[in-house]
Amino acid sequence: MRGSVNRPPTPEAEDGRQDQHLSLQEIINIKLVESGEKERLKELLRERLIECGWRDEMKELCRSFVRKKGKNNVTVEDLINVITPKGRASVPDSVKAELLQHIRSFLGSAAL
Amino acid sequence: MSLPNDKNGNMSFNSQLSAHLFSDLLDSIIVDVASECHRTARLGLDCNLEIEEEELRLSAEARARLSDPSNGGDVNGKYIVDIFGQTHPPVANDIFECMNCGQSIMAGRFAPHLEKCMGKRDSPLQL
Repeated sequence: MRGSVNRPPTPEAEDGRQDQHLSLQEIINIKLVESGEKERLKELLRERLIECGWRDEMKELCRSFVRKKGKNNVTVEDLINVITPKGRASVPDSVKAELLQHIRSFLGSAAL
Repeated sequence: MSLPNDKNGNMSFNSQLSAHLFSDLLDSIIVDVASECHRTARLGLDCNLEIEEEELRLSAEARARLSDPSNGGDVNGKYIVDIFGQTHPPVANDIFECMNCGQSIMAGRFAPHLEKCMGKRDSPLQL
């Protein structure tokens, strides 16, 4: 390494990650995305939530908020804040169980 | 990649991670729905919303018109206001020329005029 250049060494594969230690969680997340499983799981969840009327409920919450506030005064942030609490709480147990089962079996296979 | 050896530890870590991943997926879908509703609202693509707003506006206008004293809801003098805000005098006052005698006649007086007019065809009083 030339002494005249003062900068930290470029991280290389052999060096491992110097500043970042990828947590187990992050590693699993990467595997999830790379294998396409994350997208499949998201699609499955989306489909189930449409079937059970959850999505319609959320859209109705948004619509009444828009009616009150006026359509030009609403931001995406606003709507996210409006539907997140109800959204998280009103997922049917069966849907959640199904998704958790898929996730767990992925974790099981990823550990091998 | 290794997971903690202890079976119990394994399960709870697994459960925690699964729950976290599920929350991730759910939050991502929530953002999608919010963003789609936002777009729909801003672009005015929600027909029902547009119709509702229009109806609210029209009914507010109608109410304003009714309560407006200068319109005279029922009868004001001789004139009655209809729902289009038009007034019609009790006797039709359009004026035209009688095709028989050529006189200027008021529409509301045409029938009685014709009775007399048609009966005098060959009368010396005809103008």
